Amino acid sequence: MGLRDDLERFREVGEQRREDLADFIQYGELGRSGPGEINIPVKIVSLPEFEYDQRDKGGVGQGEDGTPDTGQPVGQPQPQPGDDDGEDGEPGEEGGEHEYYEMDPEEFAEELDEELGLDLDPKGKTVVEEKEGPFTDLTRTGPNSTLDFERMFKEGLKRKLAMDFDEEFLRELCKVEDISPREVFEWARGENLPVSMAWIEEAYADIPDEERGKWASIEAVEDHVEREDVQQKIRREGIDHVPFRREDERYRHPEIIEEKEKNVVVVNIRDVSGSMREKKRELVERTFTPLDWYLQGKYDNAEFVYIAHDADAWAVERDEFFGIRSGGGTKISSAYELANELLEEYPWSDWNRYVFAAGDSENSSNDTSERVIPLMEEIPANLHAYVETQPSGNAINATHAEELERHFGTDADDVAVAYVNSKDDVTDAIYEILSTEGETNE
Amino acid sequence: MSKRNSNADRFRKQAIAADLEEPVTEARNLAQKLGLEPYPVKYWIIDYDEMNELIAYGGFQSRYPHWRWGMQYDKQQKQGQYGGGKAFEIVNNDNPAHAFLQESNTVADQKAVITHVEAHSDFFANNEWFGMFTRGQSDEGQVNAAAMLERHARAIDEYMSDPEIDRADVEKWIDHCLSLEDNIDQHQIFTRRLDVDGPAGAELDEDLAEKLDELELSDEIKGEVFNEEWIEKLEDEDITANFPEQPQKDVLAFVREHGKQYDEETGRGVEMTEWQRDILDMMRAEAYYFAAQKMTKVMNEGWAAYWESTMMTDETFAGDDEFLNYADHMAKVLASGGLNPYSLGMELWEYVENTTNRREVLERLLRVEGISWRNLTDVVDFDEVLETLEPPTALATITPDTLDDLTAVRNEWVDHESLERARAGEIDVEAYPWKVLTYEGLARRHYSLVKRQNRGFLARVNQNELERIGRYLFDDARYSSVDEALADVDFTAGWDRLFDVRESHNDVTFLDEFLTQEFITENNYFTYEHSQATGQFHVTSDAAEDVKKKLLLQFTNFGKPTIAVYDGNYNNANELLLGHQYNGVMLNLGQAKETLKRIFELWGRPVNLLTIVKEVDDHDIEVAKRRNREPEPKEQGKLIRYDGQTVTTEDVPWDEVEHLAADDIDYDTKPDEWLA
Repeated sequence: MGLRDDLERFREVGEQRREDLADFIQYGELGRSGPGEINIPVKIVSLPEFEYDQRDKGGVGQGEDGTPDTGQPVGQPQPQPGDDDGEDGEPGEEGGEHEYYEMDPEEFAEELDEELGLDLDPKGKTVVEEKEGPFTDLTRTGPNSTLDFERMFKEGLKRKLAMDFDEEFLRELCKVEDISPREVFEWARGENLPVSMAWIEEAYADIPDEERGKWASIEAVEDHVEREDVQQKIRREGIDHVPFRREDERYRHPEIIEEKEKNVVVVNIRDVSGSMREKKRELVERTFTPLDWYLQGKYDNAEFVYIAHDADAWAVERDEFFGIRSGGGTKISSAYELANELLEEYPWSDWNRYVFAAGDSENSSNDTSERVIPLMEEIPANLHAYVETQPSGNAINATHAEELERHFGTDADDVAVAYVNSKDDVTDAIYEILSTEGETNE
Repeated sequence: MSKRNSNADRFRKQAIAADLEEPVTEARNLAQKLGLEPYPVKYWIIDYDEMNELIAYGGFQSRYPHWRWGMQYDKQQKQGQYGGGKAFEIVNNDNPAHAFLQESNTVADQKAVITHVEAHSDFFANNEWFGMFTRGQSDEGQVNAAAMLERHARAIDEYMSDPEIDRADVEKWIDHCLSLEDNIDQHQIFTRRLDVDGPAGAELDEDLAEKLDELELSDEIKGEVFNEEWIEKLEDEDITANFPEQPQKDVLAFVREHGKQYDEETGRGVEMTEWQRDILDMMRAEAYYFAAQKMTKVMNEGWAAYWESTMMTDETFAGDDEFLNYADHMAKVLASGGLNPYSLGMELWEYVENTTNRREVLERLLRVEGISWRNLTDVVDFDEVLETLEPPTALATITPDTLDDLTAVRNEWVDHESLERARAGEIDVEAYPWKVLTYEGLARRHYSLVKRQNRGFLARVNQNELERIGRYLFDDARYSSVDEALADVDFTAGWDRLFDVRESHNDVTFLDEFLTQEFITENNYFTYEHSQATGQFHVTSDAAEDVKKKLLLQFTNFGKPTIAVYDGNYNNANELLLGHQYNGVMLNLGQAKETLKRIFELWGRPVNLLTIVKEVDDHDIEVAKRRNREPEPKEQGKLIRYDGQTVTTEDVPWDEVEHLAADDIDYDTKPDEWLA
């Protein structure tokens, strides 16, 4: 019992547990209150109850200076849960009901990381400063106090292991009838034993005459003398000598960290042609906005480029970006051409680049394969993503997303294709896109 | 949740508490002097986290386990964290009331909170809608809210921990009950059990049939033992007996008494378990307990704001140094949107006070020889009248040096006992000048009509009102001069009226009676309606009566449609029939269907709802669009039914729903020529 428990239960509502309540969760609209601030709609669960039809009920408003004229529109009601199932065509609640809390993009990115289990590690590009890090780098000279003795011991031991070999066995070999030191050496080499010709010659010379011819052949030695590997030998004898060498000496020194500024440029491309109706437009906004916030939260310096296109493409400001509607046809490559041009200002060597495009997958014939795909391959970026928004399932000639997927494959590192058919798909799409980028960094 | 009972923590709070002891005592004294009669209040010093927790729990320390407290806590925390929303004051309706002061508040804030809380506590204790909850109890006047909620918390927690009971089942059951939270009869005195007779034979009949089956008697024997006529007679009685006799608005109580739980396995309604009934009882009791607060939000907040302002500003309960701080806070609270309950309520209370005082003055003036409602505005100089009504200097400014002047004013204004003590230096007149005055004296000192912001109020009286007062006045030549008339003015009239109103009104009656044209126009209120033709909301009117109509819709019955039980044995199959008492505004059908599904769980058998909807056919919309007109909707009776599997909706003839339609109310504000 207690609030912590209640909070836990609330988080689970509509998710792992109590899915019966999922329909009654409202997330409201995404909003942005000011630069560097994000309004996150608070999750609100309202149990069903008898209430008035909001449209039929009407309401009371308050004018700023005087009252507005009769007949003047007063804004659109906000969508409500159950609105989009289309079954009842239930009217929505009037505006102003949604509650928000504000957070900055960094917090947002953290929450999203946690929520989706993402681990996107932004790449630094431009070097802005160098500074001393912890003493983790090593050099070959330095004051004795910084000598890394542990490392030296390990290196010595490694060397010893590498150099040691089964001396007893080689000595026995030298006792084979009519064998020459050369033959012993060749056999040892064949066995990859780290032994020198000089050592063998010395050992050969040391063999007392009465023992020569003890074995008839090398095979006989192999059959009768047990070989002992180095580890066994060290265990038996202990380490009497670790060969410390000058060349193993290492002195610790502080690491120089290149503080790289993490720059990102995000290109948002949106199809604004006639077929992109309100619902599709809204889905694009619902998907793009959190992506932008996320990247803004992840990088030190985020720039955004907005491109609207029908058969032609043009750059726009963010304010207009989600609102534009045009009449014309669709040629997606126009947007990529413009993107390519605009990205010249953000050289790949200095900038992380994300190119997000969204539309309903309709494109003029062959444009995808002949122009868009080559352009996507040509424009270097951390990630290219295409978000298909089709609230009413698929249209026949809407194949752009499909073609991309066919060409790049579903597990491409730097190309993500996501489908958003309803609000419920938004989170999945964001995950799909951002986790694709995550893999690039592995 | 986080009880950090470290000593340091406790000492810090104790220190704050010690500083506030005097303000608490004196605020109570002042409140009582001003005529308030609050429940005793226990004050607690708490930190920010604790405040968030209390707010999440609706002002109490312990509530039953439920996700919605988590939701509120989440919101509260995030608003605080990201929005900088500052929790201020929380007080609960209980006897004694408990109020919570956040330790980080400034002293000025604390004083404001304390004065505010005293007024709330007075409202809890004296508003009769709050009495609805207490009056039916054996120990009348005792709220026992904290104890009740704590009891509920423990009981439900026990049910949830019971290995025999699935925790999720308990949660869902609570949710089902909460869907009907507002479907109570908040205008009735709360009683634990509903006094509705079940159908005399229904239960018996069903049981009987079941028992007969169980006995596995052959039909022959059955026929011999229980003669058929007797069984038929029982059935006949059911059909004719109306159950409930009158439509029953307390749906929660009805399902509590006659509902069953739906058993998935057998596919039929079976008796509720004890825990289910118990939880229904608890949820219903809590719904009644909180109903009064929902019904009086504007009044109650306005009341608290009014007296807070009187004590803090007029009676300078905040020290001079604290005052700026306070004024700043007050301005922020009142400025947040014109329709917030604080400012709306406070303005209405001030309006009640001013109109009552004005009426009192006008009644006196109209009794002056030669003055009638026709000539009053011509012959009376309102500036001079206001001059006369100014409180005497001895009352307006009270310092240790001016105490002697009080002997010259009316006896009834002065608290002579206190005056003696003040003279003896036992009372700090500098800090608490009000101590030497009586209720009458304070009313004189703070007489509303001469306050700077109200100085135009008297002169703004219109001819209609003058006529209304003048026409029914007897004894209309009692005074020979204006001065003589004004000497008789009852200066407590305004406050006396406030106390009467706070006793008997709720938000609906309060707004209905006191929301004025002036207020609506000044605040630029307007109404809007939805147009089928354009698919948008459009402004419809800024006329006061229209705005009021719409506002009242938002306050009547918690702003919810009225639903009542019309038949507990519908279709003669123990189905439930609910009726929506249609006032011209249709139901949100999607929500209604979902709610029916919840009620099914509490009834255990099919549930039905009769309602009236407005339908416009597409052709009419098209035509209307072309002509820039609004299509005329057709009202159609509907029966919505949920049988545990599917929701069905069917049209029913008008005569089946006619009894549900109210023809004397109209909330529609669309003008005839609207979109043209």
